[in-house]
This record gives sequence, C-alpha cells and structure tokens, in this order.
Amino acid sequence: MDSFFVRYRNLLVLLAILLVQIVGLAVQVRRVNTGRYSLDPNDGPGVRLIRLWADALVSPPERGIHDTRLGIAYLWTNYFDLRNVRRQNRDLQQTIDRLRLEQASLLEDARQGQRLQALLGFREKYIYATLPAQVIGSSGNVQSHLFTIDKGEDSGLKPDMAVITGDGIVGKVRDVFPHSAQVLAINDQTSGAGAILETTRIRGILRGNADGQLMVVGVERDERIQPGEKVLTAGGDLIFPRGLPVGVVDKVVRDPDHDALVEVMVKPAAHLDRLDEVLVITSMQPRFSSQEQKDIDTSQSDAESIEEQLKASEIKAERLPGLDDSSAPAGQNPANPAAAGPPAPTLLPTLHPDRFSPAAAPAPGSSPAPTAPNTNSPPKTGAHPAQPGSPSGPGRNQ
Amino acid sequence: MALLSADTRRDLEIHRYPLIVYLLVPLMSLVLQAWLPRVLGRYAWFDLPLVVTIYFALGRRSPIQGTLMGAALGIFEDALSHHAIGVNGIAKSCVGYLAASVGVRIDVENFTIRLLLNFLLSLLSSTIFLFVYRVLLGVELEWNWLVQLYIAIGNSVIALVLFPVLDRFQMHD
Repeated sequence: MDSFFVRYRNLLVLLAILLVQIVGLAVQVRRVNTGRYSLDPNDGPGVRLIRLWADALVSPPERGIHDTRLGIAYLWTNYFDLRNVRRQNRDLQQTIDRLRLEQASLLEDARQGQRLQALLGFREKYIYATLPAQVIGSSGNVQSHLFTIDKGEDSGLKPDMAVITGDGIVGKVRDVFPHSAQVLAINDQTSGAGAILETTRIRGILRGNADGQLMVVGVERDERIQPGEKVLTAGGDLIFPRGLPVGVVDKVVRDPDHDALVEVMVKPAAHLDRLDEVLVITSMQPRFSSQEQKDIDTSQSDAESIEEQLKASEIKAERLPGLDDSSAPAGQNPANPAAAGPPAPTLLPTLHPDRFSPAAAPAPGSSPAPTAPNTNSPPKTGAHPAQPGSPSGPGRNQ
Repeated sequence: MALLSADTRRDLEIHRYPLIVYLLVPLMSLVLQAWLPRVLGRYAWFDLPLVVTIYFALGRRSPIQGTLMGAALGIFEDALSHHAIGVNGIAKSCVGYLAASVGVRIDVENFTIRLLLNFLLSLLSSTIFLFVYRVLLGVELEWNWLVQLYIAIGNSVIALVLFPVLDRFQMHD
C-alpha cells in the first residue's frame, strides 16, 4: 500500500489539488432563472478572503510602481518639458474665459431645469458627489476586464457604484477592499448596463465581447441606426445615471444567435485601455444649494396653495345647487353649457354697419341709436355677438 | 552522458535557487501581469505567471512543486480577476505538473525546446481554462482563439528572454 502512494504520489497530489479546486468552484456557481449557470456575483466569505489576500499582496507593489511612474512624469513635466508653456498658458487662459461665459449660461439653465424637475416630482438622478481615484492595476487577464483603483472602504466606496471619466462611463465597483477596489469595466462580457441611442431612442444592453469590444445587444434590426450616432446610458440599471455618454456607434452587425436582432458595436467615449484617473460616483441624491432649496420650497408652497384653492372652488361649485337648474328646459342650463346645443356661429365684423347690423340693433324699450359712421371695430357687446335666435341673444335675456 | 538513465539525469540537473528568488519572481510576475496591461493596453498578449510556473517546473523537475506553484499562481490570478477562484488554478496546476514531468525526460536547456514547450503548454492552459469554464461550470464564455494564439507566441518570446536571466540565479555546488 505504501509503495502505491510512493509510486503515484505526484499524480495523487495533482488529483487532490484539482479536487479541492473543483469543489471550491462548485460553491461559486449558481443556476440562474434561464436554467443556465452563472458565477455568483456576491463572493462568499472564503472567496472574498482569497481576493483580499491577493489584493494585499499585489496592490502595494502596484501602487509603488504607479507612484514611481507618476513621480517621473511629474519631474519631466515640471522641469524638463517646459517648452511652449507660455503659449499653452495663453491658449488655456482664452479657453478659461470662453468656458466661464459658457458656464454662466449653462448654470442658469441647469438651475432652472433642476427647479422644474423638482417641482414636477421627477426622480431623475443626478451626479452630486464624485470621488477621484487613480488606476493602479488591472486583472492581467484578457478574459477579465477588471482594474484596480487606489480608493477603497476607507474612502467610502461601496459595491455597484458607477465609475466614470470626463469622457464617459467606465464601469462599476465590484469588490471593495480596505484601501483599494476592483472595478468591472463596461467592456467585460459579464458586464451589463442599460443604453439608449441618442437619436433613434432605441434601447439595448451594453456589454463587451470576447475581444473586449463594447457593444449594445438585444437591439431589433433597424435601418435608422447609423455609425456615428451617440450612445447614452438609459438609467434603468440603478447604477449609471441617465444620459451619460457611452460612446458612438461604430458599426452594426448581425446577432449570430438571433436573426431578428443586431449587435451595435460601440466605440467607447472613455479610453478603457488607457485609464489613469477615474471618478467614482458616490452619491446621486439631489443636493441643492440653500438658495435653490428656498426657491423650490417657495414654488412648492405656491403650487400647493393654488391646488388647495382649486379644490375649495370645486367643493363650492358642488354645493351650489342654484347654478345647476335641473328644471330648466334642455339647452338652457347655464351650469351645463355642453347641453346647450351647438355654439352660435361667429359673425364677422361689419364693414359698413347700418341699423340692421346686430351691434346696432336697439334694445327693447330703448330709442334707436344713431348709426356710427365708419365703424370697423367689432361691436362692444362681445367678441362673438349672438344672433337673435341664439340662447344668449337679447331675446333670451328676459 | 548519453548512457545516463533518466533518474540519474534528474538527480544531476535539478536547479536550485535562493529562497528569495522563489518568493520574489512569482510575486513580480503577478504584479507585472497586473500592471503591464495598463501600459500596453489590449496588446498585453502574455501570461507571466504561466511562464514562471513552466520555468520552475522545468528547472526543479518536481511535479509536486510544479503543481503547487501553478495552483498558487493561478489562484492568485483568479483572485485579481472576477473569475471564479480555481479556474486558472486548475489550468496552471496541470501545466506545472506536465512541465515538470516533461522536464524529467527531455533536455530543457535547448532554446527550441523551451520555445516549443512554452507555446504548447500555453495553448494547453487556455484549453483547460475554457474546458473548466464551459464544461465543468457550464458558464457561457465568449472565446477568441486568435488571442490565445498570440498569448502563446508572446509567452514563448518572453521565455526566450526570461529563462536565461533566471538561470543566472541558480545556486551551484
């Protein structure tokens, strides 16, 4: 027996290690609603511990390499690469002046929009707090588009927070460690986000393919989809706010699995392969300034008081039976104008009025009025003078 | 030398290294594998932990050590990605075992053999990875064999440069 273990110890060790890992894999997989299997996005305690160890082992050297690279770049930028700085400075100053003007007008528009949306009770989500972070590493695996940032639990990061750059969306926070976090990029094939095409308003699911190319899937074939159209976040995934830029349509290819569907290949707005700095959206709750909040409160109270007045007038109208005379013949109930028959035809203003003109018709019991010479204006009895036979005509007002 | 049996050759040609090399080289392979794709972008077609696993397995000629090193590096690679822990571990365990088993029987000092071994074992690692994902786990995974071919070529080229460098750290009696 001993000779068996000694003779096959290499193979037995291999089998034991493989068996342990297979058992470990089995607990990380779960069956999804479609009947297929999927990796559990929520790591168990044991798996999370291994990821924590790996991060603790690899992140500090990565951070060191990253800081060294930044230091060298800083040295180069500040001491050696000073050519054209004055010209750049002048250009930038001009840009700042122009942007200030643009910002002033945009700010006014934004404030107005926020007030209006708050009044209408929209639940539109805005980005109100972001946290800048440096990308210090990646997964190093072509099948896993995951990268590590230098902010973690100590900075308030939580799983499923959206990660963006100034150009567009980047991904979402997956695992958070004490001093770092892993971000799943949008071009990973396990990623998913709601997307909408800006012009055609066609919606789909944003994810990556095996080559790390970004695409919108689940889109019905539509000839209106053209390269160059902007793709935005749809906002229904509870991760990315609506309307953030994703990229532009690169091309449209047929979905190999579904004949009726197409895959919209998207050129990402953010440089997903060369990320240095990103912004983590830490809060999407509306936060208005004190002045804006005061304006909103004032407008809301005004709106509420107007609404109350309307309700009160409706109640009063219901309690006033005199206005609704049920004994009146059909077509003569002033409280129910809809039942008064068809509206009286509108007469055009008289060009040359005489004593037969409706406006010049004398009231019963009064002396005939002299005809006004050259009167082109409409009669003062109303914009739509009624004919004698109409319900509101003089003969009815007895 | 030609009359030596396989066991005698194995006893003679086991490479030994300082402990610091055993610790630092795998660690650096993990760190660089995580960091270099940031510089090279989508053209990071290599798998440094796999190359290091093959190197130590071939040099040490111990299937158990090759298996353990492959498992450890693979698990750490999995932990740094969002893959299930163990997918890379299984692939690299098998590769470490096979590399050490092959190293007992053939002359691994030859550059052509090193090149060929790295190429074939890289493709084998990719195949096992795919097998575990699709067959054992039953999880859908899009796959591009062309990229895996590039990775196998990249590993072979890196091995050509890295193996002689690491050979310098060998301890000689």
